[in-house]
Amino acid sequence: MRGRFACLAACTALLAISGCQHRSNDRLQITLQRFFGACDAEYGNSTNVAAAEGECGIITTLINEFNAQNPDLEVRVNVVYWPGYDQLSAELAAGDPPDLVTMHQSVISDYSQRHLIIPLEEGLRSVGIDAGGFTRVAREGVVRDGHIYALPFDNWAPLWHINMNLFRAAGLVSDGKPLLPHSPAELLQQARQFKRATGKPYLIQSMVNEPSAYARNLFTFLMQQNSDFFADPRHIKLQTPEARRVLELFKQIYDEGLTTKNQDYTAATSGFLNGQGGVYLVGTWMIGTYEQASKQTGSPLAGGYAVAPYPQLYPGRDATYADGHSWVVPKARRSRDKMHAIFRLLQFLRDNDYQWSRTGHLPAYKDVIDSQRWRSLPHRAEIAKLVEIAEPLPSGVQRQFLIQQIISEEMESAITGQKSINTALADAERRVNDVLFNLL
Amino acid sequence: MIVLSNRTPDSKRNWTLSVILTISSLAMAAPLLWTLLLSLKPNDVLLRGTQTALSPPYTLRNYADILGHPAVFGWLLNSAIVSLAVTFGVLILSSLAGYGFARLRFPGRNVIFIIVLFGLAIPEQSVIIARHQMFTTLHLHNTYEGLIFPGLAAPFGVFLMAQYFRALPRELEEAAWLDNASHFKTFWCIVLPLSLPAQVTLGIFTFLSTWNDYWWPLISATNSEMYTLTVGVASSQMNFAQTNGLGFLMAQAVFASIPILVVYLIFQRYIVAGVSRAAA
Repeated sequence: MRGRFACLAACTALLAISGCQHRSNDRLQITLQRFFGACDAEYGNSTNVAAAEGECGIITTLINEFNAQNPDLEVRVNVVYWPGYDQLSAELAAGDPPDLVTMHQSVISDYSQRHLIIPLEEGLRSVGIDAGGFTRVAREGVVRDGHIYALPFDNWAPLWHINMNLFRAAGLVSDGKPLLPHSPAELLQQARQFKRATGKPYLIQSMVNEPSAYARNLFTFLMQQNSDFFADPRHIKLQTPEARRVLELFKQIYDEGLTTKNQDYTAATSGFLNGQGGVYLVGTWMIGTYEQASKQTGSPLAGGYAVAPYPQLYPGRDATYADGHSWVVPKARRSRDKMHAIFRLLQFLRDNDYQWSRTGHLPAYKDVIDSQRWRSLPHRAEIAKLVEIAEPLPSGVQRQFLIQQIISEEMESAITGQKSINTALADAERRVNDVLFNLL
Repeated sequence: MIVLSNRTPDSKRNWTLSVILTISSLAMAAPLLWTLLLSLKPNDVLLRGTQTALSPPYTLRNYADILGHPAVFGWLLNSAIVSLAVTFGVLILSSLAGYGFARLRFPGRNVIFIIVLFGLAIPEQSVIIARHQMFTTLHLHNTYEGLIFPGLAAPFGVFLMAQYFRALPRELEEAAWLDNASHFKTFWCIVLPLSLPAQVTLGIFTFLSTWNDYWWPLISATNSEMYTLTVGVASSQMNFAQTNGLGFLMAQAVFASIPILVVYLIFQRYIVAGVSRAAA
């Protein structure tokens, strides 16, 4: 026993000594903190961006490529567990933030209002990035109080991912295109027709432990009714006829069995791959995965996958809720050289926005959207109109992640019948307004 | 005949007990087996549904990918350094403090002991902001010290060791004092060797809880080179909800549990004894 302890003690000492070794490096270091995961086994040494696939693969090879092109700089990457804001907040509290961080555009207000991230317009200009080149939705996503607080990287929106094989069987295809509804009544009619023909639910939804999908649906269909539910960014109005209409629609879909039930995100994601339903309501990031499946023989999606923005169900305006990924620079003391290096990296990321858009996300720059090479990527032409119809929440709204979670919880309660629709909307409104009232 | 009739109810009882225990064991082992099976499946196959884990083909590709992901070894090293350092630190401090509270007489002993025991009732979450700020002031974040020091405050260890020392016969120490041994020598040569079972129990529980700790390393070790295995594995998730790369994540989880398994195999006898002792 004593021998074992002695052995363990010796091992600890050796490990501690080896762990304390310093590495010398003359290159100017930039610390980049991001989510999107780690895939070093596949892409750790690759600089072939064009060959990389998926969010992790593309961002990893992009950074490798930047390091290879800039021998005077070294980008050190901190990969954090999605979305990483707990770590960022801890780093800011400790006075040791990274130099560049991935941030959802919906979260920027939480940090910009407290002056924890810095405006970037001057720096972006210094490396030739023209904010006029941002798409409208990207610009709305990163501008706060007239300042650009982030370099937009993409925008994403929830979409209708469609199993065309099942749609064909249900007679919902015309001229090779899916027939999508133009009103709530038509949606219900098509969903019933789909279920009668295929025996499967029309919609696939993540409905369990779901932090945001319900809220995205609500925001989208409120926007389509011209409901100004955030007229005051510190006060939400949800006890409205418009919100009631949306919840009644989704409750009816649920009650009639026109949607999958009791599935979480993972189950719903694989459920669509397995042909469990006609339309999966999920974001742009799944386009690549489903497109790949549509090329595999034997897959329920083989030769039969389409994707479209949310159809306009209400006569107000064509709109879809959107968010996006961006790069922010946390406030910290940095040398001029380092700041310049950060903006060189931002310029590189902007120049490679096309590569990033291969993930399925919408490019943040007009020239990429307008380019032939982007439009020739699978399904991009179908989702291009998102540039015009995608809308984030008003820029002054803080704590959007928490707001989405609260609304999703209350909507789930209403749709599954645990609460009445009126009670759920009242509770959601009260809880969200409590959060916003107590902001510092 | 009489013997048989006596045995039959026992056999039935044993058989019933065996069935219950087997089912319970399978229920306990099911998540672990599930993790293992998922780790042996290609990621793209798992994307279509995790039920595919129940049937071949299986692959070691995910484990090969771990070997190609050098950061994992750094995280493993960090976890080993932190867990072992905390374990030895807790053993040393808890033994000394426990002996002091159990045997030495000094002013305020009971009050201080009660204050230490208050630590058992205070959840980590309630002091985390103050601790984070203190470590910020001391520039201890992203250091091994920053990960080790909080674990050294172990009121349970002090309590356990004090109770254990109190249960030892005083006559043993008195015999040493008659031979002119000092308090420290008595502690070192007589009391400490006798407390080995309690030390093993405390050591194992401390090691396991430190190895599995997630929250403090998440907010203190924010530099990926200082990640412990728990934080590192979480950060490797490739996308929201890990719909892609599930097999790789599970392989990392299995890989991360290997050191714990090794500790268990080496100290199996002591762990079983320690758990029953702690329960008693």
